Order: sequence, then structure tokens, then C-alpha cells
Amino acid sequence: MNRSDPIFHIIALIILVLVFFLIWNFTNLIPDAKGGNTADRAVQDTLSIIYGHLYKMIPICCVVILLSLAVAFFLEEWLPHKSLQYRIIERIIAILASIPSLIYGLLGIYLLVVPADKVSYYQLTIIVSLLVMPYTIQSTQKAIQGVDISVREAVYALGANRWKVITGHVFPHAFPMISGGILTAISRVLATAALIIVVCDWKIPESNSTSSFGFSSSVVVLLLSALSLSVLSSLVAKNVNHINLNGIV
Amino acid sequence: MENKIEISDLKVFYGDVQALNGISLNVYPNEILGIIGPAQSGKTTLLKVINRTLEFNQDISVEGTVKLDGEDINSISDVYGLRRRIGMVLPLPVGLPLSIYDNVAFAPRTAGLRNKAEIDEIVERCLQQAALWDEVKDRLDSLGTKLSGGQQQRLTIARALSHQPEVLCLDEFSIAVDPITTMRIEDVLKTLKNDMTILLVTNLVQQAKRLANRTAFMLNGDLIEIDETDVIFSDNPTQQSTYDYVNGNFG
Ligand SMILES: Nc1ncnc2c1ncn2[C@@H]1O[C@H](COP(=O)(O)OP(=O)(O)O)[C@@H](O)[C@H]1O
Ligand SMILES: [Mg+2]
Repeated sequence: MNRSDPIFHIIALIILVLVFFLIWNFTNLIPDAKGGNTADRAVQDTLSIIYGHLYKMIPICCVVILLSLAVAFFLEEWLPHKSLQYRIIERIIAILASIPSLIYGLLGIYLLVVPADKVSYYQLTIIVSLLVMPYTIQSTQKAIQGVDISVREAVYALGANRWKVITGHVFPHAFPMISGGILTAISRVLATAALIIVVCDWKIPESNSTSSFGFSSSVVVLLLSALSLSVLSSLVAKNVNHINLNGIV
Repeated sequence: MENKIEISDLKVFYGDVQALNGISLNVYPNEILGIIGPAQSGKTTLLKVINRTLEFNQDISVEGTVKLDGEDINSISDVYGLRRRIGMVLPLPVGLPLSIYDNVAFAPRTAGLRNKAEIDEIVERCLQQAALWDEVKDRLDSLGTKLSGGQQQRLTIARALSHQPEVLCLDEFSIAVDPITTMRIEDVLKTLKNDMTILLVTNLVQQAKRLANRTAFMLNGDLIEIDETDVIFSDNPTQQSTYDYVNGNFG
């Protein structure tokens, strides 16, 4: 399947528009779906805490992503693939990465929403790490494995050391796929954050009072950013073909 | 005369597939050793053992010894230095996404050379030797990967010469190169052998006949015969299969 086919752009666009409308309708429905006005301060607080903590995810994400890249390069470039450590770590990561983000979202609700009074960096870090790390590590591993062995052979044959080969050639060749993986991982975080907010909000009768930034709009913003990141990541990954065409003949 | 390379009982396995079945041969200094044989006979594998780039394959295992100037290549601690002593030209050119100039300057720079004038001189000399200079001298800054297949092949030859190797390994370099340019490169090889030892794997038996001092015939991972080129191409080499292959009635 040739992903650079324009037909796939069109399909991606159609899906994007459809999903946009779905989300739009969905978020418009929610306030109506809720009745009563038994104000639940605790949940309301949680929600504002989560809004208040969204920005905290940015540095956490950055650190976690850098760590994931380091782990992936360590696995692929330093550990012999036959070694027991490699096989164990690789398995664990594959299993963690295959768990749907919904499950991590539920864990997030459990960790963040249930003990509503204390949302700490610590808990956020756990969830963001679980959401981001296995996925990013795995996609980075695949990106590194996808770099043709002939590139490595050619650069090493010229006397370059491992550091130079990795930074100068393996990383640039793998970069489109790596960044595609990172974008998807971030989009998973955003979508999960949206999920947590939806669940919280369902428990709150007056959505507008939770924060100056309304419920529906924040969910829409989160989900839309998640979606655009996913689409972007597929476009970025598509460029792999072009780069390889220019890079290796 | 001391051997440049001594290979003894070299076995290579890709997982379960055995690619070399215990090969022993010596390469003399400043000779051109032609290596011929049908596809899959292990010629490329043999070259990659020598500069230790085979180890990037997963599941590879190598037995036996290879000595360069009497020193076991596996006991050389500076493997990067070892690779700089060997120039490698592989059949499918790997154009590094660098400019033509930077492709050739890569190895000298990696080895620590900083002087622009010296690097300029190396780039020009190597591109001349690879019969590419005239075609690219006005666009040294354009991407090496934008060149035609044959030009890229010659760029990899220039690159392999750029670190002044003691041993030059060429693996079927003429596949994508037109006959006239091939002849020009062959002439360069004849003069280069004064400075280095050349291992010439070739799919053109006539090329081995034209260039090689000695020729080795490989088949299915075995070294069938190695002898003076005149003997290999004579009417009575030691092995019948050598005769058949050289005379094109093989299979
Ligand atoms: N990367 C590889 N993985 C597995 N088997 C390989 C690999 N490269 C070569 N081989 C096997 O090793 C044998 C020798 O191959 P090669 O050295 O490329 O021969 P030649 O260069 O003479 O065509 C063949 O049987 C081939 O299938
Ligand atoms: Mg070959």
C-alpha cells in the first residue's frame, strides 16, 4: 500500500471531519443529559484541579519522551538482541504498549479523580509515563530497526564511532518515524485527558461553574488536538518514504 | 614476504544458514586478488568479515581467524581504527544524505583532519581516482544522492579511498557503471595497487582476468581454488568447476 497516494489524504480528511462532528454532537448532548443540581464540590474541585494540572503535563511529557528515546536507543544500539535483558525488557514494553489507552484512562480516573483532594505530580507522572513511554519506546525501536543495515555498514566502514553513527545517521533516518510515534503518544495523552474530564464532568451537574474554560470547549479542544496530532503523525510517517528515497539508493 | 591478510578456517553463520564453510587463504601485499563465483557463494560475506561490519547483522556468528598484518582483527581493540585501514565499496551504493564533498570528506574528518586545504585536496584526488571529478567538480555542494546510480557507485569508491586504506575491498563495483568508465577505474586500480592491497570481488570474470594477480574461485561458501590468474584462466586449472565457471558453461 502506497501511503503517499492522495486518496489516503482524502480519506484521512473525511474521517477527521466525521469524527469532528461526532465529538461536537457528543459534547453538546452531555449538558442536556445531566439533570438535577446536587452540587458535588469534591468532583468539581477535581475537575478544576485537572484543568489546573494540564499544563503540568507538558514538562512531564517532555521528560518522559526524552527518557523513552534514551531507553529505545539503549535497547537497540547497546544491548545485544540475544541477551536475556533485551528480551525481557522488550517483551514488557510490547505488552504495556499494546494495552489500549482507555485502560490507562480508567487507571487515571482511579488515581486522579477518586482521591480528589490530592492530585500530585507523582500521580500524573505515573499515568503520563504509562501512556507515553511504552508506546514511544516501541515506535522508536521500530524506527531504529527500520533503518537499513547498509546505512550502518557504510558509515561504520568509514571509521565512524557508534556515537557518530547514531547521532549523524541512524537518528536522522529514523526521525520521521520517531516523531510520528511521539505525536501519536501525545495524542493518546490528550485523548485520555479528555476522557477523564468527561467522566468527571458527568458527575457534576453544573458544568459551567467548574472553570472559566468551559467543559465542552476543553474536551473539544483536547480531542481535536489529539486528532490533529494523530493525522499529523500519519503524514509525518508518510514522509519516511521520501526521505528514504533521497537517503538510500 | 609477509602476508597482508591471513584467513584461516573462516566459518560464518547467519542464524542457521552457513555462508562460509571454513575458508583459508592468504592475501599478499600490493596484489590485486580477484574473487569470482556465482551469486550466494559468500564473496560479500568474506569482505564484510574483514572490516568487521558483519557484526551488525543479528544472529551472526563467525569462527576462525582473520589476521591483518599478522594481528587478529578480533583482538584489535580500536575497531574504528581497523575499519579506517580498510576501504569498502559495496555493490548497492549507499548514498549518505550528504553533499558530494561531505561524502568524501566524511572519513578524513572522522579521523580528525580539520585543515580545509588538505580536505579539499583529498576530495579532489579521490574523485579523480574514482573517475567522477569532471562530472561533479562544479556541484560539489549538491546532494550525493541526487547523482545517477553509476555516479553514486563511483562516489562510494572515492569515499572508500578517502581514508587512504591499506586494503581496498571492491564488491562488484561495475554493475551500475558503464563500460568506458569501468575501464577508467580499472586503470586507476592498476596504479593504486602500488599503495594498497586490493580485493576485487567481481561478477565479470574477464575483469578478474584483466586486473588480478591471483584469482580465487568461490562456490556455495567454499573456496574451490586460488591460484595465479593465468592458471585459473588456463585450459587446465586444478578444479573442473573452475574451468566450467570461467568458461561460462556453468550450472
Ligand atoms: N543478511 C543475511 N541474512 C541471512 N543470510 C544471508 C545474509 N547475507 C547473506 N546471506 C547468505 O549467505 C550466503 C552468502 O551470501 P553472500 O555473501 O551475499 O554471497 P555473494 O556475495 O557471493 O553473492 C548466501 O547463502 C546468502 O543467502
Ligand atoms: Mg555479493
